[in-house]
Formats: sequence, C-alpha cells, structure tokens
Amino acid sequence: MAVIEIQNLTYTYPATSHPALREVSLTVEAGEFVAIIGPNGAGKSTLCYTLAGFIPHFFKGELQGEVRVAGQDIRRVRLEDWVLKVGLVFQNPFNQISGAKFTVYEEIAFGLENIGVPREEMKRRVEEVMALTGIEDLADRSPYALSGGQQQRVALASILVMQPEVLVLDEPTSQLDPIGTREVFQVIRRLAHQGVTIIMAEHKVEWIAEYADRVIALAEGRVIGTGTPADVLTDPRLPDYGIGISRYTAVARRAAGEGLWPAERRLPVTLDEAEAGFRAVEEAHAHLH
Amino acid sequence: MVERLSFYLERSSPLHRLNPTTKLVVAFTLILVAFLGPGLLLPSLIFLLILTPLSFVGQVGREFLRTTVRLLLPLFAFLFVMQSLFYPGGKTVLFGFWIFSVKLEGVRFAFLTATRVLVMVSSFLLLLFTTHPGVLLLDLTQRGLPASVAYILASTLQIIPQMQAKAATILDAQRSRGLDTSGSLGRRIRALLPLVGPLVFGSLVDVEERAIAIEARGFRSSRPKTSLVEIEDRPLERALRWLCLLAIILALGSRLWP
Ligand SMILES: Nc1ncnc2c1ncn2[C@@H]1O[C@H](COP(=O)(O)OP(=O)(O)OP(=O)(O)O)[C@@H](O)[C@H]1O
Ligand SMILES: [Mg+2]
Repeated sequence: MAVIEIQNLTYTYPATSHPALREVSLTVEAGEFVAIIGPNGAGKSTLCYTLAGFIPHFFKGELQGEVRVAGQDIRRVRLEDWVLKVGLVFQNPFNQISGAKFTVYEEIAFGLENIGVPREEMKRRVEEVMALTGIEDLADRSPYALSGGQQQRVALASILVMQPEVLVLDEPTSQLDPIGTREVFQVIRRLAHQGVTIIMAEHKVEWIAEYADRVIALAEGRVIGTGTPADVLTDPRLPDYGIGISRYTAVARRAAGEGLWPAERRLPVTLDEAEAGFRAVEEAHAHLH
Repeated sequence: MVERLSFYLERSSPLHRLNPTTKLVVAFTLILVAFLGPGLLLPSLIFLLILTPLSFVGQVGREFLRTTVRLLLPLFAFLFVMQSLFYPGGKTVLFGFWIFSVKLEGVRFAFLTATRVLVMVSSFLLLLFTTHPGVLLLDLTQRGLPASVAYILASTLQIIPQMQAKAATILDAQRSRGLDTSGSLGRRIRALLPLVGPLVFGSLVDVEERAIAIEARGFRSSRPKTSLVEIEDRPLERALRWLCLLAIILALGSRLWP
C-alpha cells in the first residue's frame, strides 16, 4: 500500500521566483526506507517539509499538484495533529530543541506531554528511546550544553519517541562520526522492518547503498533518478549534477577506463561489491597467464 | 555553552518539596507584610526569624546569606549615607562632623527601607534557590496560566545565556574586523551599534525556527496535555495559603486603620 503519493508537485516559497520543487512525482510504500540525495539547494529539505505538512501550512507559498500522505491530502490536514502521523527530524538539530525544557529527559518527554500520553507510559517510552539512541548518560544535561552530535541524537530521540507512522529525517547524521552514523542507520532500518515508513535526505551515499531500499535523486527541484541504490548511485550523470558518489564506484569507474573492471558487471556501490568485482578481474588475469 | 540556567540549587529538603505556588504565595505575603505592616523592626524580624531559618531548612542557608549580602551591601551603604545625612525633616541630631550632621529620623528611615528591600530580594532568592523554574511554570500552567505564556517565560530563561553567548560571538567577529570597543562611553555605544542588527535579526530568524520546532513536537495538539512531573499539593499547604491571605489583610488593615 502506498503511504506517500506525490503527483506533479511544484512548490514555490513565498517571495521567490523559482520553484524549489518542480513536477515531482513519487510513491513510497509502507515500511520502505527511501533515501533522498541531491546537491545543496536541490529541494531535499523542501520535500521533507511538505511531507510533514509545514508546506503549505507554515510556509505558505504556492503549491501545485497532489500530495497524499497516509491517505490524506496534505492541504486538508490539521498541522497541529499531523505530528502523530508524520515525524520530522530537522536538518539542524539545534533548531529542534523546544527551548521549554531544562534537561534532555524532559526535552524528549515534551512531545509526549503535548499529545497527552499518560505519565507511566511516557517514562517508559522516553527511557526506551534513550537506550535505543544511546543517550542515557545525557538524561540530566541541559539540551543546550551538548555537542552537535549529541544534539542530533537528542533530536532524533525526541521525534522517535512520538512513534509516527512516517518518519522524515533531514540529514540526521551530518554531525555524527562513522560509529554514530552506523548506529543511526541501524536504528532506522529496524524501524522500517517494524513497518515505519522512512524518508531520509542524506549525503552519505556509502551508507545509503548499504541500508536504503530505494534512492530518489533530486537536482534543481526535479527528480532525476529513482530506483535501487545500485541503479541510482552508479548513474554516470550524478557528478554532473554535483552529487557525490561512493568511493567504491569512483575507484571502479577509473579501473573500468583502464579495462580493469569486468565489462559485463555493474559498477559497485558497496565495499563487498567492489571486492567481488576486482577479485573476478584478478582471476581472469590469472587465467590468462 | 552555559549549563546553569537559573538560581535553582538541587537539594532534597522539605522546602524543595513544597508546592511551588505555596512558596510563591508565601514570598509575596512576606513582602507585602514587610511593606505594609507596622513597626520599625517588622521587616528585619521577618528576615531574621522567618527567611534565614527557612533557608537552612531548605539546605541553602550559606548560598542564601552570601548572595543576599553580595547583592544588597552596596545598596545599603549608599542608602545609609544618603538618608542619614540628607533625610528631609530630620531634627534629632545624633552627631555631627564638619558641615554634616547625622539625624535619627534619617537613620530610622534608611533602616526601614533597607530591611524592606532585604525582605523583598531575599524572599525571591529563597524561592528561586529552592524551586525549579520548570516546575514552577508547570504548576502555574496547571492552575490556568496559558501554556503559551509559560512557554514564553521558560524559553526566555533559556535564551538569556544564549543571547549573551551570541552577543559575545558577534562582538568578537566585529572586533577581529577592526572594530574598536574601548574608549569613551559615546564611542563605545557607537561601536556597539553594529551588534544590534545581527543580534535582533538573528533572534527573529530563531523565532520562526522555534515555532516550527515546537509545532513538530505537537505543542498545539488538540489533545489534552499531560505532564512528566507530578506536583504535590497537600491540604496543609492549601490551609497555609489561606493563612497568607489573612496575613495580607491584617497588614493592609494595620495600614488603613492604624
Ligand atoms: N524558507 C525559504 N524561503 C525561500 N526560499 C527557500 C527557503 N528554504 C529554501 N529555499 C530555497 O529553496 C531551494 C531548495 O532548498 P532546500 O533547503 O530544500 O534544499 P536542500 O536540498 O535541502 O539543500 P541542503 O543540502 O543545502 O540542505 C533553494 O534554492 C533554497 O534557496
Ligand atoms: Mg536541506
């Protein structure tokens, strides 16, 4: 069942002349983990805002086309209760801090207080999500006195705790080291397996290649590619659009130029695929001698 | 970044466990009685016999006395010098030197004013030392203060240290571009003007982002809110608050019909 259906979405921010999204069409199934890639200014955050209802309910502007999420027309939803369906983790974690709470624990509970979760359940959920995101030791700290990476985990936790059906993440690992990034991707994949639909704007293609079910590439507001990570991330046009590619793809592409990559083989996007490909070349050479 | 956002000192004392509204009411009552009540000694007795012992019950006695003295000593010194020398209508000269004479009425007036201010400042200090601002706001919200007003108050408390940090950053940036912030007062004000733009504009942008942030957490959700912290309110405290009202009426009465 399609949870997200977008048809011919064109959106222009107020007081701007060029649309930030142009004729975007896409569908996402329940429990799918979809990554959105694209250069700076491609419209990734704008798409995230639209799914979360901030466009058109907070940023007015001009919205054309159809956007349906969980069966509802995004124009008709009540933004104040939409958080129960779609949770958004912002690109800048600092902006996610409510400012109303004095400790991380209270900060994570803030959303649950607002939607009226009973106290005992609230505590259970807060503690669960803190364990899940590895921030138990921050419970009594001020949300403002954290490092960027810690704030990013708190921002993620404070949305996860609300258990939305659709989770929209705008570059949720930008301030995390590789270990933190892996933890976040693992948590997200587990949620997808539990049936949560995931949309994640993300630059880190090597991680996307390993974890996402599908990739949508945006450039200048348009969808320029959609498909499995293997298909989209090896598209030779990506560098022209300013989209980074996986180190493994880049190395194999140069090798292919020198005739050092099996001709019939698709370029790799993960380390495993790269290894397999180069091993095949090696064996072929060994055969010749 | 700044970790400490308020005066609050964490202890497990009976005073900390009191309902925040009870403490607020008691603080206001003590202040009103000090200002309205009769007698030269009443405010100082309130300080010595009620506030100071209470601060030790609350396990914040040392901080309470130290902060009170530090805040008020300069003011008191100024008050005593000015009033004892220049109090209008002072007749009873205690002693004189050179062209000055210290008059009894002035000393009495200075003493009364100083001890009243003492009660006012120290009551609030004790309230702030023993009450978490978040809990106070939560309690007021549960008694009908609109959630949006409580939010504004809470976030203001948090934003002050942030604004200070931001101002310092901007100032550093301007200085590193050759801005001179030393010298005469006028020159310094002129130098600080470029600070205003980024600070105000930056804060306005923050407001929009903040609005989205709390929206994303269901702040305006139509469901009835719940709260993480449970605030106790015992019948004894309710009785105490009625008693406070009575004390205020008595103090007012003593003022109107002496
Ligand atoms: N609030 C706004 N008002 C006006 N224009 C905006 C606003 N936010 C974004 N834009 C414009 O919309 C376009 C898409 O921006 P968007 O933030 O969605 O890109 P992005 O893909 O998220 O980029 P990044 O990788 O830098 O986060 C850009 O041209 C941007 O300047
Ligand atoms: Mg963005």
